[in-house]
Amino acid sequence: MTEPLITTPLRERAAQALGDRFLHEALDIATTRFIALRRDAFGDFPEGEALRDRARAIKEATLQRLDAHLETLVANIERLGGHVHFATTAEEAREIVLDIARRTGARMAVKSKSMATEEIHLNDALQAIGVTPVETDLGEYIIQLAHERPSHIIAPAIHKTKGQVAELFSRELRRPGLPADPEVLTKIAREELREKFLTADLGITGANFAVADTGTVVLVTNEGNGRMVTSLPRVHVAVMGVEKVIPSMTDLAVFLAILAKSATGQKLSVYTTLVQGPRRPGELEGPDEFHLVLLDNGRVAQLAGPLRESLYCLRCGACLNVCPVYRQIGGHAYGYTYPGPIGILLTAMLNGPASVRDLSHASSLCGACADACPVRIDIPRMLIELRREVDVRGIAPRSERIVFKALARLLRSPTLYRLAARIGRAAQRPFVSDGRIRALPSFFGEWTKTRDLPSIAARTFQERWRDLS
Amino acid sequence: MTSHKLGPDDGASSSRRAGARTTKAEFLARVRGEMAKTPGLFVAAPAERPAQPRQRLELLRRELSERWPHTLERFRAEFEHVAGVFHRVPTAADVPAALERICRERGARRVVSWPSEELGVAIAPVLGAAGIAVEPMPRAVPPDAERLRIRAAVAEADVGVTGADLAVAETGTLVLVAAAGRPRSTSLLPPCHVAVFDRTALVESLEQVGLALEAWHEGPAPAERGAVINFITGPSRTADIELTLTRGVHGPKEIHALFVDGGLGLHG
Repeated sequence: MTEPLITTPLRERAAQALGDRFLHEALDIATTRFIALRRDAFGDFPEGEALRDRARAIKEATLQRLDAHLETLVANIERLGGHVHFATTAEEAREIVLDIARRTGARMAVKSKSMATEEIHLNDALQAIGVTPVETDLGEYIIQLAHERPSHIIAPAIHKTKGQVAELFSRELRRPGLPADPEVLTKIAREELREKFLTADLGITGANFAVADTGTVVLVTNEGNGRMVTSLPRVHVAVMGVEKVIPSMTDLAVFLAILAKSATGQKLSVYTTLVQGPRRPGELEGPDEFHLVLLDNGRVAQLAGPLRESLYCLRCGACLNVCPVYRQIGGHAYGYTYPGPIGILLTAMLNGPASVRDLSHASSLCGACADACPVRIDIPRMLIELRREVDVRGIAPRSERIVFKALARLLRSPTLYRLAARIGRAAQRPFVSDGRIRALPSFFGEWTKTRDLPSIAARTFQERWRDLS
Repeated sequence: MTSHKLGPDDGASSSRRAGARTTKAEFLARVRGEMAKTPGLFVAAPAERPAQPRQRLELLRRELSERWPHTLERFRAEFEHVAGVFHRVPTAADVPAALERICRERGARRVVSWPSEELGVAIAPVLGAAGIAVEPMPRAVPPDAERLRIRAAVAEADVGVTGADLAVAETGTLVLVAAAGRPRSTSLLPPCHVAVFDRTALVESLEQVGLALEAWHEGPAPAERGAVINFITGPSRTADIELTLTRGVHGPKEIHALFVDGGLGLHG
C-alpha cells in the first residue's frame, strides 16, 4: 500500500548526511547553481510574475472542476485509440502496469524519469514478474545501477562523484578502466541505452501535464529519452497523478513558460513531447498501444483536505534548491520518494501523518520555498498545519506533547507567565554567559546543542513598564 | 477538528473484492464526493481560450509576415544561445548545397530525410552526386519488415533532415508535428539534425504557440496527422554527472536550423 514507515530517526539520517563531506559540497554547488540559473531566467522575463499567478489560478480552477476535466481527458484519449485505467492505490497502479506487461509479453521496459512510478515502487514489481526495468534518464540510470534512490527531483544523482560513476560503469557494464570524465561516461550510457531503446517492448513514463480537451500527455525532458520511450517500443504506459490534468493547450503554453525556468533556468527544456494516443494509421513509428494510468494514492482525499494546495505542484525542484534544510541534508535523509519542503507535504499525503512526525519539523519555516515555487504554493502554512495534525492525533513524542501543553497553558495566563519568568530568571543563572545560554542540561541540551538561547532579561519589559507608569 | 484524511484511502480499496479494479465511475464519483466538500481556495479560472483559433492564427500569420526579419533575428539569437547552429540561404535551390556542406564538414555519408514533398525541396540529386546517400522516409506505411529496416537505417544515419512547423523566437524552439511522411525518428536517432524552414514557420512567443496548438486541434484532425508533436530546443543534453553539461546523451548532439529566405515549395 503506502511506503513502509522509515524507522531510523530523522536525526540519525540527517547526521549521516551531514557527515558526508562530498554530498555536502555537491549539494551546495548544485543548489547554488540552480538558484542562480532560476533567478537569471526570471530576471530576463518580465512577464514571469504574472504568468506564475495565471498558472496558480489555472491549477486551482482545474481542481474546482477536476471531475469534468478528467472525464474530458478520458473521453479524448479513448477517442484517439488509447486506454485509460484508474488506480485508487499504489498497489492497484502497479497491478495495472503488470497486467499490461504480462498481456503484451514484455521482457524489458525502458523508463523515462518519473516520480509517479518511483512513488508506486514500480521497478521492483516489474522485476518480480521477470520484466527488466531500465531507467534511461542518465541520473536515474546511474542510481539504478548503484541500487540507490534519487536524491533530487530533477538531478537524481547529484550525490555521486564522476569518479564513483566511472567505477560504477566499469564494474556494472563490464567496461574496465573507464576515466572519470563526464563526456566519456555519457557516451557510454548513450551506447548502452540506445541498444535498450531499440529492443525494449514496453515504454513507461510519467507525465508533466495532460491536456484534457485534446487528450494529450505532455513529457518534458532534456536528454530525449522521453521521445525514445514514447516512440520506439510497441507499448507505451504513462502513469500520472490526477492533479496533472490541465484544461487546454492555452493553459499548457502558460506552464511551459515557467516550468523549465524554475527547474533548470532554461527558457524551455530541450524536448517537450506532446503524445496523443498510439501510432496513427499513416504513421511510420509509434506504439501500437497507449495506456494512461490515472493515480489517486492519497491525492483525491486532499481535494478537501489540509494539503489541497500541494496538488498544484509541478515537480520542478525549485523549493528543494532554496530550502536551508534540504541544502544541508540532501534528498536521501528525508527517507521517502519526495524530498524537500514539498516532499514533506507529499509524503504526508501518500503515507499519512505518522510518516511526517519528525519530517514536519525539518523546516525553519523561512518561506523561501513559497517564494521560489512557480505556482506560489504556501508550503510553510501547510507544514504548520501538519505539525498541528501530528500533535492533535497524538503522534508526536510524549515529551514534546507535554512541553507544548505546558507552554500553551503558560502563555494563556499572565500570572503564570510572570511567575515562570521569575523562576526562569533564577534557574538560568548557572548557564548564562554574556547574556546567552549556550548549554542546558539533560534533554533541554538538545536545543542548545546547535544554537544559543537569549537569556531572560534581569528585568522584563512588563516590570520596567510598571515602574514607568 | 481533524475530520479530513491524510494518506491514501486503503479502507476503500481493501473493502473491494480482491483483484477487482476501480472503475471509471467509482473513481470519478470519489473525486466528485471530495470536491463537493469545499468551494476551493479562491475564485479562479483557467486561461481564456481563443474563440475561432484558426481564424486568429491566420490573422496572426498575416501580422507576423510584416515583421518577420525581426522575429528571425530573435530566433537566431535564442537558437544559438541553446547551442544550435543557424544557417541562412537565399532560395530553396540553395538548400542542397548547404546540406552538402554540413555533411562534408562532418564526414557524413548517410542521410535520412523527410521526402521532398514534405521538405519543399529535393535534396537527393545534389547530395547523391556528392557521394552522400539519402534515404527518404516513405509517405505510406510499408510492411513491418520494411519498417524495421528503415528504423535500423535511421539509427545508423549520420544526419537527419526534416522540416519544421514552427520556429519560436522567444525560446529558439523548433516545433515538429509528426505525420505521414514526417516521422519522429528523423529528428531523434541520428547524431546531427538539420531542420529546413522558411518565414511561414516563424512565431514570436510561447503564447502564439498556444494559439497554434488550439488552431491545429479545432475540429477533427487531418487524416495524415501523427500522434506526436515535438518541441525541440537545442541539442540533447544532460548535466547529471557533477553538473557537467554534456551534449548528445540520447538525441542529436548537434542541431542546425536552415532558413530559406525565398521560401520553400510547400505552400502553393
